Amino acid sequence: MSLNRQQSPFVYTDEQLIARFQSGDERAYIELVNRYRDRLINFVYPFFGDFEQAEDVVQETMIKLYEKKHYYREIAKFSTWIYTIARNLANTELRKKKRRKTTYISRMTKDDRQYDIPAVQADLNQNLQNEFIRDRIHAAIRELPEHFKTVIILRDIQELSYDDISNIVGVPLGTVKSRINRARLQLQAELQDLK
Amino acid sequence: MNRYQFEDLISEYIDNELPLGKRKEFEDYLNNNTDAEALVNSIRFNINNVKGLPKVKASKTFNDRLFDKIKSKPDGIKSESPNKWMIAGFTPIHASFMTGLIMAFVFISIQIFSPSLDIKNSKTLYTTNEKVDDNAFRDPINVKDNSNSFLTDLTDDSLSVDSITQLKKDYSKKIQFVND
Repeated sequence: MSLNRQQSPFVYTDEQLIARFQSGDERAYIELVNRYRDRLINFVYPFFGDFEQAEDVVQETMIKLYEKKHYYREIAKFSTWIYTIARNLANTELRKKKRRKTTYISRMTKDDRQYDIPAVQADLNQNLQNEFIRDRIHAAIRELPEHFKTVIILRDIQELSYDDISNIVGVPLGTVKSRINRARLQLQAELQDLK
Repeated sequence: MNRYQFEDLISEYIDNELPLGKRKEFEDYLNNNTDAEALVNSIRFNINNVKGLPKVKASKTFNDRLFDKIKSKPDGIKSESPNKWMIAGFTPIHASFMTGLIMAFVFISIQIFSPSLDIKNSKTLYTTNEKVDDNAFRDPINVKDNSNSFLTDLTDDSLSVDSITQLKKDYSKKIQFVND
């Protein structure tokens, strides 16, 4: 295998790239990795709230892409396919994480239990305030039920169309619209004090 | 438009996915309900906040680590080819297993729910194969000792009206009228 780690000057579409990769051109694989690594990390990151874990999942996704390249058929967009792989791997990792998680509230210290919202004061540093808002939003997204979380990330962070989301999640368009709406209402209820 | 319909359409309105007629109806509702307008503005504000979250970038070593992982496998990571002998997405073994299961399910369903399976047939089966006591199927009040007539009773349906009438006839022959 001769993986060239340098960026290659491809101007092909994703579907053309995967076709080239299926024919054995590994430079096409590198180009796909370069195109999708950041997008996928931004997709996976809100699930975990942990950058390293998100990056591991994306690495696994890229390895799956390498292993299963022949499974891709051009009946769906490449982006839909790769997002679906990443989503499935993220869900698997989340399930494992849930099983491992054994935190008891009774064993928490007082500091762990309290979640103080700092008062927004005039003299508060703007950066700190922005960071606080970002943390609140991330926390609110993580608190959403799994099926709401996925659609809200795909719509509002990844800015994908309703149709693409429907294909990735594998549910009808109407269900996607309804889930997005309900997720946004839930986020609004959670974050209504942010003004 | 009522409150529920309004809430269902908020996202589609914000995302410009509503058809013109619905959009006008939605805006009319908004103009008449100040709290509804506040809700839409609040959701829009949150969407902008979510969209404005800083984008994370893969670490600089991402590609190196990925390619090292691929190379570090004993023979490199092999590209798998999908099985060409697939039947409706199943391998031949799985497809035959599924077919067998479906056939078994259909067969059992027919056995359970078939309308042609009546008591007469089931009784005949029992009596011919296992020689179940025929009296067990009879009305206990009208039962008579007919153990020697087992073969003749095989064709009788103990629950049918005809056989009951037949039994009644037999008894009626024994009635004797006494003249005064």
